[in-house]
Amino acid sequence: MNTAIRYFPAFPRISWKPYLLPLALISVFILISAAPEAFAPYRPNKLFDPYMELSAEHILGTDDMGRDLFSLLVYAARNSMLIGFASGALAVSIGVAIGLVSGWYRGLLDDVLMGATDVVLIIPKIPLAIILAAYLKPGPWILILVLGLLSWEGVARVIRSRVLQVRSAEFILSAQCLGFSRWYIMTREVLPVIFPLIVPKFVLMTAGAMLSESSLSFLGLTDTTMLSWGTMISESFTYSGFIRGMWNWWLPPALCIILSILAVTSIAFIHERGRRVVIQS
Amino acid sequence: MAFVGEDVVLTPELLDHLNTRLGLDKPLHEQFSMFLQSILNGDFGYSYRRHDTVAALILERLPWTLSLAVTSTIIGYASAVVFGSYAGWHAERRASRGLTVAALCISCIPAFLLGLILYAVFVYQLRWFPFKGLYTAAPDLLDVMWHMALPVFALSLLIFARNLLIMRGSVLTEKNQLYPQFAASLGTPQSKILYGHVMKNAILPIITHIAMSFGSILSGALFVEIIFSLNGMGLLMYKALTALDYPVLSGLLLILGIMVVLANIAADVLYGIVDPRVWRTDK
Repeated sequence: MNTAIRYFPAFPRISWKPYLLPLALISVFILISAAPEAFAPYRPNKLFDPYMELSAEHILGTDDMGRDLFSLLVYAARNSMLIGFASGALAVSIGVAIGLVSGWYRGLLDDVLMGATDVVLIIPKIPLAIILAAYLKPGPWILILVLGLLSWEGVARVIRSRVLQVRSAEFILSAQCLGFSRWYIMTREVLPVIFPLIVPKFVLMTAGAMLSESSLSFLGLTDTTMLSWGTMISESFTYSGFIRGMWNWWLPPALCIILSILAVTSIAFIHERGRRVVIQS
Repeated sequence: MAFVGEDVVLTPELLDHLNTRLGLDKPLHEQFSMFLQSILNGDFGYSYRRHDTVAALILERLPWTLSLAVTSTIIGYASAVVFGSYAGWHAERRASRGLTVAALCISCIPAFLLGLILYAVFVYQLRWFPFKGLYTAAPDLLDVMWHMALPVFALSLLIFARNLLIMRGSVLTEKNQLYPQFAASLGTPQSKILYGHVMKNAILPIITHIAMSFGSILSGALFVEIIFSLNGMGLLMYKALTALDYPVLSGLLLILGIMVVLANIAADVLYGIVDPRVWRTDK
């Protein structure tokens, strides 16, 4: 690791202040999804009168079945966050593994893996996910699997090209001369160098998965019992919430979707901006 | 067996007949080669719900979706290139910071949500645009333009926002090369350096990106069609989803895949024309 830093200088100190707002937003969302009982006034399946206006008891009113919309909003956070982060993590781990192996071993294995990457790259992702979801009617876990397995290709390509650069560096040669195993070199010498590339990719994959999840739930393709912000908008769209002008039904989940994706994406954006300043100086 | 009809009794003979006709009695790999053969013959299957061939259903709607996607792509990319160059060149100005932040916010909105918000404001509240459909009675140009204005705006806004960020980053990188500084030392005006020299180089990642993101542009078009009830491939897909019309769904995916592959080939050719260095690398 120390040798790695000498050859590939670490990032200069970047101010943590711009990260504060997005991180605070994300932690609020995570806190809510970890313990929705503490924030929601009612259970999500408790029924009241349908189509109630906003009031002190029901901050956002009720939906067509008489469920309290604020409680639904709070309980929906869990699936939206879980699916985003879990499929982002899945996509990044697959991408890093494939990029690492492909860039390190090169040759035939590289050709095969990069061919597979190109195929995944060119398939229109959302339509394929829609069709898979139409067959499977997935709950959260299958959705994580589908979204994760469809979006690793960008990571794999970036990691591979970086590994190709790194593997010809002298500190790798010296590690090989010292007799370290390939596994040790790949995990202890190469991985720390490419790690700064992984973090923003993970963040972007997470945002992308949240976006896809909301789109799929909007089409009503997920398990009907699965609560998420996308399904709330979908229900409002199909069960006349929209026609009745009930903005209190669809606007809060819409804002939650946009805010959560924006918070996650802006972390990657701020990170990148920090690096660009380095290049300029 | 929905296309037997609801009041027709399904006898074992009929079932056998259907199994043979659809090739369901053959092993899976033979079924797959039958599927491939029929696709090469232009036969994408038969929709049980709509009682029409999938190819006819899709072909009827393809031009609408394609015109929505292509118009928005052109508007979105053209404005992203111009404004993105500005935002990258004058990165410290307040206007370009505002542009960047706005683009970042818009790029985080899913296509269906942006369509829904625009629909709620401009159609539902202000009533500036028609409620649904591609045309009122017959497709004449002005009427279609009026119906398509808001969907095209929604889609091109998304494309604009996503590509403005890419273009901005690309110009920021080019700005630090030596040639803009050299041009500046010769006394070339700033705007000529930007739009005459830097933009040409900075546009290359954008061209690659057009092909890569054509799939996501198309799926954005599908969602926009669903929101604005435009009778294109998106609405066809939405109705097929609710009716579980699988042949239509797989036909749609196949057509979308073919379109994306064609877009990639076109972009490769375009890239070679725009950047002559591509042809020379192998020699």
